[in-house]
Amino acid sequence: MDILLQLVFSGIALGMIYAVIAFGYQLTFATSGTLNFGQGEALMLGALVGLSVVGNIHGGPYLNYWLMIPIVLVFGALQGMFVEWIGVRPAIKIKSEFGWIMSTIALAIIFKNVAENIWGKDDLPFPMPISGTPFQIFGANVQPMQVLVVIGALLIMAAVELFNRKSIYGKAVVATSNDRDAAGLMGINTSMVITFSYALSSATAAFAGVLVAPLTLTGATMGAALGLKAFAVAIIGGLTSGMGAIVGGLILGIAETVTGFYISTGYKEVPGLLLLLLVLAVKPAGLFGKTAIKKV
Amino acid sequence: MTYKTQALVAAALMTFAMSSQAADPIKIGVSGPYTGGSAPMGVSMRDGVKLAVAEINAAGGVLGRQLQIVERDDEAKNERGVQIAQELINKEKVVATVGYANTGVALASQRFYQEAKIPVITNVATGTVVTKQFEKDKDNYIFRTSANDAIQAKMLADEAIDKQKYTKVAILADSTNYGQLGREDLEKALAAKKITPVAVEKYNLKDVDMTAQLLKSKQGGAQVVLTYGIGPELAQIANGMEKLNWHVPIIGSWPLSMGNFIDNSGKNGNGARMPQTFIQDGNTPKRKAFIEAYQKAYKIDRMPSAVSAAQGYDSILLLAAAIKQAGTTDGDKVRAALESLNTKVEGVVTTYDKPFTRDDHEAIKAGSVVMGEVRNGRVVLGK
Repeated sequence: MDILLQLVFSGIALGMIYAVIAFGYQLTFATSGTLNFGQGEALMLGALVGLSVVGNIHGGPYLNYWLMIPIVLVFGALQGMFVEWIGVRPAIKIKSEFGWIMSTIALAIIFKNVAENIWGKDDLPFPMPISGTPFQIFGANVQPMQVLVVIGALLIMAAVELFNRKSIYGKAVVATSNDRDAAGLMGINTSMVITFSYALSSATAAFAGVLVAPLTLTGATMGAALGLKAFAVAIIGGLTSGMGAIVGGLILGIAETVTGFYISTGYKEVPGLLLLLLVLAVKPAGLFGKTAIKKV
Repeated sequence: MTYKTQALVAAALMTFAMSSQAADPIKIGVSGPYTGGSAPMGVSMRDGVKLAVAEINAAGGVLGRQLQIVERDDEAKNERGVQIAQELINKEKVVATVGYANTGVALASQRFYQEAKIPVITNVATGTVVTKQFEKDKDNYIFRTSANDAIQAKMLADEAIDKQKYTKVAILADSTNYGQLGREDLEKALAAKKITPVAVEKYNLKDVDMTAQLLKSKQGGAQVVLTYGIGPELAQIANGMEKLNWHVPIIGSWPLSMGNFIDNSGKNGNGARMPQTFIQDGNTPKRKAFIEAYQKAYKIDRMPSAVSAAQGYDSILLLAAAIKQAGTTDGDKVRAALESLNTKVEGVVTTYDKPFTRDDHEAIKAGSVVMGEVRNGRVVLGK
């Protein structure tokens, strides 16, 4: 029993990381119908910028872990705006259906190469803000940092949801995501809202980066695999539902650790991806997604 | 131009051409991973090679010619290694190549040298088959100055079973050629002691969660974890054990001595033991001089991978001795000279007295490898 519990706990910590990145995919999809395929790289850049501030690699540490978080959030937001401005806006302007796919992938590759040149190709350790010594819950070991990851992920998602529901700016975001043209006619600057959604999505990814970095190693290549898994999570959960991101993340994370233990570590990624195919076949909008009817 | 000036110019050109021909450097290829997870091995190896070349050149070179290295980053990728091999052979016309930190890259690239009859001294990669790939050919051009996996696997089994008296072991190996070939050697060595591992687990490069593999080992009742992998993932294993609050010793193949394992695992890596041909500890004058020269040349205190640096350094000394003995840079003659070196070569790993024969291309024999241990961020001699 504690074995299963241990696997589930590790799976939850892993899954929540996927969930935050998946949440970032959803933010931009909701407002603009586009996705940033560089979400994994946004996470990687956030983690590396954070490392430059709190680690001892660039003459630091300059600040402690908690004071570094706002800096990383601002950096993430600026990076997201840059992606939107250079890669997505032109595609939306010419009403290109797919231009943004290639341009966000291209930007992701450029970011990775730039990061390799600034931070090197090696993996680096990230200092842990709290003790790494695990404590026990029902016989299973949990690291305080893993708990922090789960809480941090839930907090940032709750904050974004609250902002969207309660504030007037958030209502503009919701209006744009419901019907961009109508929102535009009502006087909402929809292109600004889209830029904002990109800033928000990259900022959450950057935040996820500094959350996960103390548990994994930090390096220019850390984003690719995480970004891809999170994309699968976004599809499983549905691209329009924040709840879907959480549930999808948990499903994939737990499926990976449980499969690794009970079947084979060589096959640990298979069940999650099989689930992805199943969801696409049975309920293409995702487990929690709304089916959109597209008129042509 | 008068006839006289023409003749003068021609004569001047001739002497110039001849003198430049006489001073033509001997080109030696160096192929290794200088970036990525294997970088500590590749970089240290290259830096060791450079030190040896600088020393030989300062002493007048070989056959009156200077040595010149042509270094290429194979990024630990098989396909990159193959490209580099072809470039070094066909474009750079190297006399010999040293290098290869990754067993997979070595196996993929050596074929081209074998066909071109150019000797290769693999100085880091340890896969047992590396020197046996062309055993059936008339001549074998592949030599090695690292301790192969058969030697290391036996040492791991001796250490865990005979010395530490463990009976239940778990093996964690990565999914590359290196990890899987090493795992086979390790299972063979354990079988010779009638030990069946309680768990044999695999992981991929870049994996960040080792919970499943470690839990299986823990459930099997393993008293020790034997590893076959490279730095960053080994650190994930040590850190994963901390996450599970499961503390058993780690004994593994030699990359447990790499800087990126020691740094990324921090205190969790303390006590890890691994076979070493060389430990950064100046216990002989030759070793002391080598370590000091290295620290001074590259302005660092701890070598990222001392074993690779030492083996890289020695591989050049052996190659230079062979070229000297052959009296030519012809690949076939250099190979023959390597197989019958008649001078003792004093390296930093050991003193090589007839290191290679026609049937044995392994310079390192079981006796000259020691057990190292990670202690407070350094590798020291394990007791």
